[in-house]
Amino acid sequence: MEIGALVGIFLSVVLVNNFVFAQFLGICPFLGVSRKVDMAFGMGCAVTFVMTISGVVTWLIVHGVLAPIGRQFGNPEALYFLKYVIFIMVIASMVQLVEMYLRKFFPALYVAFGVFLPLITTNCAILGACLLIDMNDVYQRSLLKSAVFAFGGGIGFMMAITIMAGIREHLRFSDVPKALQGAGITLLTACILALAFMGFAGIGK
Amino acid sequence: MNKFVNESWLVLTLGVVFAALLAGAQTSLSARIVVNRTRALNEAVAQVVPDTQKIEALAVAGYDRDVFRCLDADGKLAGWAIDAVGMGFADKIRLVVGLSPDTTRIVGLKVIENVETPGLGNKISEDDWAGQYRNLDAGRPVVVHKRPPTAGANEVQAVTGATISSKAVTTIVNEALARVRPALQQQQ
Amino acid sequence: MAEANDTNLAQFKAGILDNNPVLVQLLGMCPTLAVSNSVENALVMGAAVIFVLTMSNLIISLLRNLIKPHVRILIFTLTIAAFVTIADLALKAYVFEVSKKLGPFVPLIIVNCIIICRAEVVASKRNVWRSLADAWGCGLGFTMALCILAVIREMLGAGGITILRDLGWVWHLDAKTFEPHAWVVMIMPPGAFLTLGLVIGVVNHLRAHGARKRGG
Repeated sequence: MEIGALVGIFLSVVLVNNFVFAQFLGICPFLGVSRKVDMAFGMGCAVTFVMTISGVVTWLIVHGVLAPIGRQFGNPEALYFLKYVIFIMVIASMVQLVEMYLRKFFPALYVAFGVFLPLITTNCAILGACLLIDMNDVYQRSLLKSAVFAFGGGIGFMMAITIMAGIREHLRFSDVPKALQGAGITLLTACILALAFMGFAGIGK
Repeated sequence: MNKFVNESWLVLTLGVVFAALLAGAQTSLSARIVVNRTRALNEAVAQVVPDTQKIEALAVAGYDRDVFRCLDADGKLAGWAIDAVGMGFADKIRLVVGLSPDTTRIVGLKVIENVETPGLGNKISEDDWAGQYRNLDAGRPVVVHKRPPTAGANEVQAVTGATISSKAVTTIVNEALARVRPALQQQQ
Repeated sequence: MAEANDTNLAQFKAGILDNNPVLVQLLGMCPTLAVSNSVENALVMGAAVIFVLTMSNLIISLLRNLIKPHVRILIFTLTIAAFVTIADLALKAYVFEVSKKLGPFVPLIIVNCIIICRAEVVASKRNVWRSLADAWGCGLGFTMALCILAVIREMLGAGGITILRDLGWVWHLDAKTFEPHAWVVMIMPPGAFLTLGLVIGVVNHLRAHGARKRGG
């Protein structure tokens, strides 16, 4: 397995196809949790953690459970209509398990993540990552590439939310028009950041 | 045990009911979906090889994508069509390239999937631009230039402001031809 | 969220205007940004959301007295996931090209905050008619918000609006003289953020203005 290909996938999903700025995933927490840098960074870490695990587990379930059972009926894709239901159940359980595990073995980390963990279940970035892996032929053939993609997606999200938090901390001292306060100015800032990230396109070549 | 059943009987019942509902939806709609999936490819093949009435898929050793033998209304060979994929500027580009029956000339090109920049790289999917490939020599690589092509030199002109997308298409075409043509020539 | 809607009709209207899920409640932004790059995408997505929201609110309202508190989120999610799968299959069968352009956002309706929120706040507590009124109000409100954004983005970004190629109808509104000058960035991500930010700003301004006039 070429390291080059994996680095390529990682850079592509962090810079070129950033989950927030290019693929519109995880916008709700991006707007809601990006007020302070340390909160944002914590959320980013939690999301990366859950996203990587969920990506790997859903891949394994599709290839290790659904496909073999389907093959018994003559068509490996026979049970694929159950995918969405299974994916969301897996993600909800993963979050639950991660929460219990952290509370028992890493209480300091559990307190640090705080209220973010339960919120992550409805974070569309997690389900989005699992779906994107599922829709892509290249990742379907390789668990390692899927894992790198999921990890990179989380890191990209973390970068986006942390940058935004840094900017918003400064914006607090600016004179924002009343109508644009909150969501409005955050979205306009995101517009400029998205434009900046567009400059990374073409790195893939 | 009783407590477990008490709490979760609804979840389990709903699970079974929904699974049945989904299985029903899947069986009734899957035929249409399969047709939809192949429609874009079949329409593209009919477009790049003129006079195509019937398409037969054939397997080419060492090439894992579709290759088609195109037959006209009389059942005679009208040409060949090759489905090819490669990396573009933004993401993957998928196209179908048509060859003459003797595999010496390119008779058509259609880009069927791309996510290039709208208004710029996206223009590779326009028939006007793709039409440049018609009648080019399939035996030597096609070359992309920014200026209009010289007659007889197997060249195409890149989309203005989208050189990388244009070069990507040409690379995909050249590679597909190099890998598939030898096998097709043996078929004859 | 204080919902002082006395009648079903008021509930319906609230979903469209006062309590618009996207522009007022600020929910469901991911699909809003992603799908508003063309009016066709917006309409199809809106239809899918209306379908899922209606069925979800209906079923949950019918079962509301049987749902135990501990498992209610699980039941909501299961119901929503099932109907989203049905909607996805239907879209793939009947409007395949649009379904491809919508990409992962149709299955992402499962985690769309709007639907889970309405299930929690209305469907699990009110009768069937109220829940349906709410579903249609919020669904229409969502579709409307999406279309407003899509019209702006597609007109400025592509120079014209084209819908329903898949079903064989083409309704094309052309601003041909504008097309060569189209601001392509509008149909790309920055344009999405820009349009939504400005529209929300306008909506906030109108609401504050309205509140001031009413002496609020």
